[in-house]
Amino acid sequence: MGLLTLIVLLPLAGFLLNGLLGNRLGKGFVTAVGCGMPAIAFAVTIKCFLDLKGGGWAPLSEVAYVWTMVGQDTFEVAFWFDRLTAVMALIVTGVGTLIHIYSTGYMHEDKSYARYFAYLNLFLFFMLLLVLGKSLLVLFVGWEGVGLASYLLIGFWFGDMEKAAAGKKAFIVNRIGDAGFLLGMFVLYSAVGTLDMPKINAAFMGTPVPAVSASLVGILLFIGACGKSAQIPLYVWLPDAMAGPTPVSALIHAATMVTAGVYLVARMSGIYLHAPEASSVIAAVGALTALMAATIALAQDDIKKVLAYSTVSQLGFMFVAAGVGAYGVAVFHVYTHAFFKACLFLGAGSVIHAMSGEQDIKKMGGLARKIPITFVTFAIATAAIAGVPPLAGFFSKDEILWFALASDRGGSVLLVLVMAFTALLTAFYMFRLLWLTFFGKPRMLKEVEHHVHESPLSMTGVLMVLAVLSAVGGFLSIPHFLEPMVALPGVRPGMDAYHYWVVGGSVAIAAVGLGAAAYFFGGDASRAAAVKAGFTGVYRVLSNKYYVDELYDRVINRPLLWISDAIFLRVGDRFLIDGTLNGLASVAQRAAGRLSRVQTGSLHKYAFLVLVGMVASLVWMWRHG
Amino acid sequence: MDKVQMLQVLAASLFALGLTGVIIRRNVLVMLMCMELMLNGVNLSLATFAHNMGSAVGAVLVFLIFVVAAAEIAIAIPIVLLLVRRKRTLDIETYTDLKG
Amino acid sequence: MIREFLAHLDTLLIWAFAGCAFVSASLMLVLRRPMRVAIALVSCMVFLGGVYGLLGLHFIAAFQVLIYVGAVMVFMVYAIMLLDPRDESSGAHKYSKLFWAGIIGFALLAEALAVGYWNDLPHAPRGAAGEPFDILRFSEAFLSEYWLHFELTSVLLVAAVVAALAVIRENRRHDRG
Repeated sequence: MGLLTLIVLLPLAGFLLNGLLGNRLGKGFVTAVGCGMPAIAFAVTIKCFLDLKGGGWAPLSEVAYVWTMVGQDTFEVAFWFDRLTAVMALIVTGVGTLIHIYSTGYMHEDKSYARYFAYLNLFLFFMLLLVLGKSLLVLFVGWEGVGLASYLLIGFWFGDMEKAAAGKKAFIVNRIGDAGFLLGMFVLYSAVGTLDMPKINAAFMGTPVPAVSASLVGILLFIGACGKSAQIPLYVWLPDAMAGPTPVSALIHAATMVTAGVYLVARMSGIYLHAPEASSVIAAVGALTALMAATIALAQDDIKKVLAYSTVSQLGFMFVAAGVGAYGVAVFHVYTHAFFKACLFLGAGSVIHAMSGEQDIKKMGGLARKIPITFVTFAIATAAIAGVPPLAGFFSKDEILWFALASDRGGSVLLVLVMAFTALLTAFYMFRLLWLTFFGKPRMLKEVEHHVHESPLSMTGVLMVLAVLSAVGGFLSIPHFLEPMVALPGVRPGMDAYHYWVVGGSVAIAAVGLGAAAYFFGGDASRAAAVKAGFTGVYRVLSNKYYVDELYDRVINRPLLWISDAIFLRVGDRFLIDGTLNGLASVAQRAAGRLSRVQTGSLHKYAFLVLVGMVASLVWMWRHG
Repeated sequence: MDKVQMLQVLAASLFALGLTGVIIRRNVLVMLMCMELMLNGVNLSLATFAHNMGSAVGAVLVFLIFVVAAAEIAIAIPIVLLLVRRKRTLDIETYTDLKG
Repeated sequence: MIREFLAHLDTLLIWAFAGCAFVSASLMLVLRRPMRVAIALVSCMVFLGGVYGLLGLHFIAAFQVLIYVGAVMVFMVYAIMLLDPRDESSGAHKYSKLFWAGIIGFALLAEALAVGYWNDLPHAPRGAAGEPFDILRFSEAFLSEYWLHFELTSVLLVAAVVAALAVIRENRRHDRG
C-alpha cells in the first residue's frame, strides 16, 4: 500500500475504531485514536512532501483500486500528489490535527464524545479523498462525503430540532450544487473521454482543444463550487451551520470543506484558462458575494454568525482571485484563511466556553483581562484578517487586490474598488467584534461573570499555535511555489506603476477599519448606537440577511410543498394508487359476497347440483364422443 | 338384451335411484342408505365387467369398494349421532349451519 | 320342458333377482319409516349378492352379504334403533323441498343414461365369454398388482378406528358434562 493511500485510510481507520468501539473503550482510547490518526496522517503527508521535493517536484501517483471497466475505459481509485495537492493536504491534516486536539478540551463534557471524534475522522477521510484524488470521480466521492460529514456534524446535537434542520439545510443546498457538478462531469466525459484531472487539463491546454464549450463546463463545475463554498445563491446554509459545535465550524466551515470549491477551480485551471466567460462569471459572483456577506456581517450580534458571514465574504475574495486567473493567489488565501479563520472560530469557542454558552456579543464585554490568552490570539487573528502587515492576511489580501486590478484576464478598476470597499468593511466589522467582545465594561449577568475562566491548555495551546501561524504564515509565498504548476496571470499594460498604490491602499484600509471600529465601538459604543438609530431601516434589512431565506421559502419551498401535497400526495398517492388497490380489494370482496350466496347450507341442493352436473357431463360426453 | 346389458342398465338405474333418494328424502339416515344404494349400483357395474372380461381388476375394485364403504359407514354414523345430539332432529333441512 | 326350464334357469334367476333388486330400490324412495327403508335396502343387497353369485363371483357375493349386509346394514339398523325415538318430525314430512326437482332430475339422468346406452351399449365380448372368475388369480392380482390400494385401504381402516375412538371420547365427555 502506497503512502498516499495510507494518508487517506488512516482517518477512515480512526472513524471505524471510534465509531464501533469508542463508546466501550472510554475517553482515553477515543482521544488517542481520534487525535492520533490525523497526527500520523500529517506526518505521512510531510514525508510525501519531502519525497515530492526530493524527486524534483515530479508528481506522485498511486492507483489504490480499480473500480470498474466499462468498455475501453477504466475507472480506478487513484491518488495524485503534486504541489497544489501538497499545500492542500498539509493544511487539511495539519490544521485538522490541531482542531482535533482542541476538541478534546471543548467537547470534554459531551456525552457523545466517541461519536464526535468518529464523525470528525470520517470528515477528514473524505476531505483527503477530495484533495488527493486523481480523477473527478474520486474527488466527487470526497465532495459528497464531506457534505455527509458536514450534515452529521452540524446536526450533532440532533435532539434539538433547529440544529437538525440546519444540518438538513446544509446537505440539501449542497446537493443542488452537486447537480451542476454532475452535469459538468457528464459533459467533460462525453467530450474528453476521461475523468482523470491531469489528462483533462492537458487536453484543454494542448491542441486540438476538445469540442465542447469550456465555459459551459466551467460554469457547471462552478455551480458545484457555489454549493460547497457558499457563494450566491447557495450560501444560505453556512450561517445556519453554526448550530454545530464550534470546532466543527472551525474545521469544516472555515479551514477545509468550504475551500473545496476553490480547490476545484484551481485544479481545473486548464479549463478555466480557456473559458473567459466562465472566469468572468466566477469573478463577478465572488465579488458580489464578498460584498453582500460583509454588509450582513456588520449587523450580526451572534459571535459565530459574524464569523460565518466573514467566511462567506473571504471565500468571495478567493473566487475573485480565481476569476481573474490568479489561481495560486486564491490558494494562498485559502492557506492564510485556514490559519486565521480557524484561530478566530476556536477563539470564539473559547469565549463561548468562558461565557457558559452565551454567544450574543451584546452581552459580552470586558473579557480582555479575564481571558488574556484567548484575547491575544483573537486579536492577532483579527488583525490578520483585516490585513494588518506583516501578518499573513495582509500578504494574501494584497495579492488579491493587486490582481483584481492588474490581471490581464479580467482585472479592472471596478473590481478592485468593490474588493477594496469589502476589505474596508471586513476590517471594520472584525474590529467591531473584537471591541464589543473584549473591551468596555462587562455587560453580562453576574453569575456568568463569576464563571468566566480561561480555557484549558488543550484549547489555548492550539489557539497559540494558530495565532503564530497567522502571524508568520504569510512569509511563505505560495503563489510562487505554485507558479510552475499554475502560472500567475500577466499584468495589464500600464498597471505596473500602481502596484505600490495597491499595497499602500490595503494598509490604509486596515488602519481606517481599526480606527473606525475603535471610534464607534470604543467606550460604551454609544456612537455606534446613535448611527444605528439613524439607519433603522437599513439596519433591519442587514440584520435579517436581506430576507434571502424568507425569499427562498416563498419562492421555492412553498410551491414545492404545495405540489407534493396537492398533486403527488392527494391525487397520485391517495386517489390513484390507493384507490386502485382498495378498489380492487373491494371488487374482490363484493364479488365474494355475491358468490357466497351459492352456499345455502342445504345438502339437498348440493346433491341436486351434483346431479345436474353429472347429466351435463354425460350429455356432453355422449355428444362429442 | 342379454344379461350383461340388462345388468348394466340395472346398475345405472340403481345409481340414479340412489342419487334421487339423496335429493328427495329428508331423514338423514335414509339419505345415508341411499348413498349406500349408489355404491351398490357401481359395484354391480364393476362386477358385471369383471365377469365379462375375465380379468381380476373388476373384482379387486369391488372388494376395495367394500372396504371403503365399511370404513365410511363406520365414521358417518357416529358423525350423524353427534349431529343429532346437537340438533335434536334427524331432519336435514335444519342442518344449515354452513350457510353463506 | 323342465329340461328347457333348467337350461335357462340361471338366466331366469338372474332376471328375477335383478328385477327384485330394482323393486326394492324403488321402494326405498317411497317408504316412510326408516326401519322399513333399511329392510328394503337389505333385501336389495341380498338380491344383488345373488346376482354376483349367478355371475360366478361367489367370493364377491359372499363378501357382499358378509360386509355390506352383515356389518354396514347392521350398524345402520343399530343407528336407526338408537335415534328413531328422538326424531320428533319423523312422521311429518317424508320428502324434502326439492321433491319435484329431484323427480325431474331423475328423469333427466335416466334419459341421459338411456340415450347413452342406446347408442353405445356395452355388450358381451366377441368370441368366448371370457375366462371364468378364478379366486387364485384374484388374490394374486390383489396382492401383487394392487398392493398399493391394499395398503391404502388398510390405512383408511386405521383412520376409521381412530375416528371411532375420538367419537367415543366425545360421547363420554358429553355424557359426563
